[in-house]
Amino acid sequence: MEVVVASSSIDAGIGCWDIRTGNEQLRYKSCASPPHGLVSVGNRFLASSQPRESSTSGSILYWSWKKPQVEVKSFPAEPIKPLVSNSVGSYLIGGGASGYIYFWEVPTGRLLWKWHAHYRAVTCLVLSDDDSLLISGSEDGCVRVWSLFMIFDKIGRAEAKHLYEHSFSEHTLRVTDVVAGYGGSNAIIVSASEDRTCKVWSLSKGRLLRNIEFPSIINAIALDPGEHVFFAGGRDGKIYIAALGAGSSSDSIYGMHIIGSFSDHSKSVTCLSFCADGISLVSGSEDGLIRIWDTKSHNIIRMFRHSKGPVSNVLVVSRPEMILNPQASLRRKHLSVLPPALERYSDSTEEAVGLKAVIPDWSAPAEPLDVSYISEHVMNNQIEEIQRQGSYAAAEMETERLKQDLKKAAQMLQQLRKSYDGLHEFCVNELMSENGFNELYMK
Amino acid sequence: MAAFDHFHDMYDVALKPRLLRTLLEEQVPDEKQPFRNPSVLSSVVSIIKTHGLLSESFYPSIDKGHLGSWKSAVDDWVDRILKLVSSNMPDKCWAGICLLGVTCSECSTSRFLASYSAWFNELLSHIQLSSGSQFVKVASCASTSDLLTRLGGSPNVKKDGTSHAGKLVQPILKLLNEDHSEAACEAGAYLLSIIITVFPSSVHRFYNNVEDALVSKIMTGNCTPKLLKKLACCLALLPKSRGDEESWCLMMQKILLSISSQLNEALEGLEEESKHDEAIALLVPAGKSPHHPIRGSADCSSTMLTSSFPVRVIVPVPALLAMVRRVLLVDGSLPRSLLSFTTAMQQEFICSQLPVLHLYSLEVLAAVVKGISSQLLPHAADIVRLLTEYLKRCRFSELRIKVYSIIKVLLISMGVGIVSSLSQELINGAFVDLNPADGWSSVTSPSVISHSSGEATLRPHRGKRKHTTLFPEEKHNTLCLELEESKDSSTLMAVKIAALGALEALLTVGSALGNDNWRSSIDKLLITLTTDACRRGWAHDEATWADFQHSALRALLASLLAPARVRPPYLAQGLDIFRKGKQATGTKVAEFCTHALLALEVLIHPRVLPLVDFPSPSMKTFGGQREFEFGGRKQNFPSRGGMLGMDLGGDSDADDYLNEIYLENVDGNVSMASAEKAISLEGKKNTYIDQNAERPSHILVDESTDRKAEPKDTSQKPPSSITDVTSGRRNCDEMMLVPEHFNEPIQRPEELSSRRVGGSLVAERQYGKPESVGDGDTLHLLGTAPSDRDLLAAMDISVENAVADADTLKPSQAGLDNDSSSDPFPDIVDGDPDSD
Repeated sequence: MEVVVASSSIDAGIGCWDIRTGNEQLRYKSCASPPHGLVSVGNRFLASSQPRESSTSGSILYWSWKKPQVEVKSFPAEPIKPLVSNSVGSYLIGGGASGYIYFWEVPTGRLLWKWHAHYRAVTCLVLSDDDSLLISGSEDGCVRVWSLFMIFDKIGRAEAKHLYEHSFSEHTLRVTDVVAGYGGSNAIIVSASEDRTCKVWSLSKGRLLRNIEFPSIINAIALDPGEHVFFAGGRDGKIYIAALGAGSSSDSIYGMHIIGSFSDHSKSVTCLSFCADGISLVSGSEDGLIRIWDTKSHNIIRMFRHSKGPVSNVLVVSRPEMILNPQASLRRKHLSVLPPALERYSDSTEEAVGLKAVIPDWSAPAEPLDVSYISEHVMNNQIEEIQRQGSYAAAEMETERLKQDLKKAAQMLQQLRKSYDGLHEFCVNELMSENGFNELYMK
Repeated sequence: MAAFDHFHDMYDVALKPRLLRTLLEEQVPDEKQPFRNPSVLSSVVSIIKTHGLLSESFYPSIDKGHLGSWKSAVDDWVDRILKLVSSNMPDKCWAGICLLGVTCSECSTSRFLASYSAWFNELLSHIQLSSGSQFVKVASCASTSDLLTRLGGSPNVKKDGTSHAGKLVQPILKLLNEDHSEAACEAGAYLLSIIITVFPSSVHRFYNNVEDALVSKIMTGNCTPKLLKKLACCLALLPKSRGDEESWCLMMQKILLSISSQLNEALEGLEEESKHDEAIALLVPAGKSPHHPIRGSADCSSTMLTSSFPVRVIVPVPALLAMVRRVLLVDGSLPRSLLSFTTAMQQEFICSQLPVLHLYSLEVLAAVVKGISSQLLPHAADIVRLLTEYLKRCRFSELRIKVYSIIKVLLISMGVGIVSSLSQELINGAFVDLNPADGWSSVTSPSVISHSSGEATLRPHRGKRKHTTLFPEEKHNTLCLELEESKDSSTLMAVKIAALGALEALLTVGSALGNDNWRSSIDKLLITLTTDACRRGWAHDEATWADFQHSALRALLASLLAPARVRPPYLAQGLDIFRKGKQATGTKVAEFCTHALLALEVLIHPRVLPLVDFPSPSMKTFGGQREFEFGGRKQNFPSRGGMLGMDLGGDSDADDYLNEIYLENVDGNVSMASAEKAISLEGKKNTYIDQNAERPSHILVDESTDRKAEPKDTSQKPPSSITDVTSGRRNCDEMMLVPEHFNEPIQRPEELSSRRVGGSLVAERQYGKPESVGDGDTLHLLGTAPSDRDLLAAMDISVENAVADADTLKPSQAGLDNDSSSDPFPDIVDGDPDSD
């Protein structure tokens, strides 16, 4: 079931609506998450960061799909704002207010590594489509690309001058959003900043490809799946369409590369997300409404009211069907238990003992029993063996059969002998009795 | 039955009972007649399966009479089979058991549920029997497995099934302990694994017994590899019966300890840290292979890692990796400190066994990679380092195959991040394996030397050789490549196939990061190799040679498709090979070549697909005649179709970017062409900006989708005007571009200067010669464009130039701006070009 999940920066819980029917589902309680602070971990459960205002601590909360209450609470060493999880949900990565990035293993809750990524707070995190590169944006305007492989390569880490693959510092103000495109190493990334620009970068070359100036600060970006254009949600309430693959002209009223815009005259657009169909675009706004747009016609298809406060995150998640199929949930009841809380500090003894992995991981689907019928196959093999007549077992069966034949034959012999004896006796008796003899004779 | 009671057709339900009865009468053995020819069973089973004779499934509309007769026929069938099963003639009993197994999988659900219990007891009695034919036992185990498999699929009989399956465990253990026949043990082990998989809790009570029996059987060391694999699989599945974390971990720990202790024994004398006792190593008789148990343990741990488990367990990855590393680091050489303690004989013995040990540990490594794929990250660097080191040293074909396959899996699962640390060694290794002419002389594996020294004879070709004269080097290549049918070279082929697979993965995953130094050599290697491989025509699907061709073609496709700075240098040759391959009808090569041609089509005809498939407004409105306004003048143009005298299918190709390009060249009409392009790509705009006609003011294609970006725009403006570029709106559009990006390596000097000034001049060249599609320069342009992001910037420059130039032509600018602003994209689909 494809659902829109939304949270607000004030405590209004996490709203959840079925896209197809528009019905509101369970509302998950007590969540006030900053932008980019809500993730669906491998589509198995929701996680959200909860930095407390004017506090040096914060928490990360887990909700399972079935219960409105928070099920697991973790308390990291510092307030975490942006969160991201890889597509199978085995890792959770959080960006701290101090510029540190924290890397947790979800099934065990272990803090595998943390590193100093930026000079100021991390504002957004995103993974490349093959989950191998992490892109982080910061308050100081810096966008950095990290190779996760490199992060965990102790020897390579020591040799390298810097940990990151690329560091883009062209933005002059806080980075508000980063998205990564399609194509693994050949992808583009688009970043938005409070300096009113969006910038398109090449991931492979590490270079700025395009700079687009907007009339307003862009809070959120969503990439068209065909990467023909991207949509940029502005603080002025408009959703701008900016050209990537599309032709763009210099004479747009909005400026270079901006093809157009659409809006509902609402307050600031805070977050954007594409639905699975690649056509419907979900936007969250400061006025507490969530709108679903048809990007072809630019009409609003649906509108949900989340709360009075601003919507800070919208996600489109294909939630596992759980109510309709009790059999399946019964079978997997072990796995529906949420993983343990995230560790606050990395355990130094881990380093010595080594890290352990967990199977089956969260991604493992309920495997059908991979058994197949074999008797025909076995039979055919055996027939072949018999026909080759070379094998011991075939010969054995043949012997056994012959033995049985022999037994039968012996029995038959016995019987025949018996009946012969009977007949013989009868005849002798007949012949011997005078009466019979005479009769025979007379004829 | 009436002689002329015909059926409707072969799907008719009335046919089924009659066919079944005929089978019973004519082919299925009975008690009276001797059973001579077992192969009839196979045909009986095949008829039953094809026609679904036992299924008793029907459409509701079916005649009740047919149904009754079918039911009674199946009843008779079951009766007959049960009689056969209880027959005291072993061959008939065997036949009955086999057919019962088939019946279990084929009969209707209701019949199965009604009678499985009775059938089970029949089968059980045959398994329990300590005497009796092996054949019967094997067949009973197989049929029982099928019965349980089917039972496991039915939802409501779990409890009953568990109690039934529980009865089997002891007899199977007895079978494993007593029986010396390989086949019976195999069947028993398979049955046991089915029981554990389908009804895990039935084994719970016997957990320790089962474990003991399996371990002792594995440790006897006289099982064939096939049996060993089955036993190991059972052992690996065993923790499922308890279904808790402790038993899994305990099992894993036991296995690792056992491997470790066996390794201590096996590697005695070669490892410094281990205490050695010459006598112990010598005690192991040379003929006996002591590593079967290790194989069993390795198999077991691999299965444990890769099969599912009901609860999450913690895998001791470091311990597994340490074990693997321990084995792989031993290469049979003696550390100096041990020289005096180890005899040559001991060393010889260990070296003879080492490759097998390496293979087992690589298998464990492969299982680790597969089993914990999504959590591999913290360990990936260690694994990669281990593998690359090992690949450098390893010279045996089978081991290299394994290493390549692990590398391939790693590349695919870890993505681009892993490429940089892996690529160099992988490429070096692949060059050695794929390039016989250069490689074999420097790196020599024994089997290879004998080949290249000409020991092998040239075989007659299957296909015709087209090239009669060969260069010496080529000859050498062909010599090596033609050995495919001899046994040794089939492993050689397998190494090549594995190396090609790893290269393909490398190109697929990481070529964008790849620096050009390895790309060009890899591309060359692959085209040479594929050309060689395909020169003699196409092999049959079964041959190793066909696999080799297939994997060469796959790697070639990856090399052509992988992003690069310039057009793939061997595109033409590659296309030619794929076209030829497509003609090998009915082979998988042809299948793949067709796919490759489709994939490459996008490379040749790049598409920029718009988000909205809006129709082109003017085309619809004006049909054959269109009006455009250029530079304030109204001009009438016939539509393209009309002009060319062909029906281009109206607006269906209006969005077709390529058609636009080509039509432009045919027309030779500047304004027309660029205007049309503007229609199709801008789509929403109903007014055309005058400078469009004069110079490139649009980026018609953008570079962000990688493959298609060329400054397609045209210009009539002489290049000299571009000196104005610094004026106007330049400052608004931040340019990221520095001219060095245009210094393409292959560029000609005169082109260099022209391209430096941006897209417009290049475009002018292109435009100035309408026929230049086939021209070298243009081709170069086209080739350069697809993969290079520089072009995005290049286009930026051209836009910038255009913008700058546009500022010099003020006349209608303001009005146009107004106009386009009143049409915010893309609300208005249709519009009137006259409105301006």
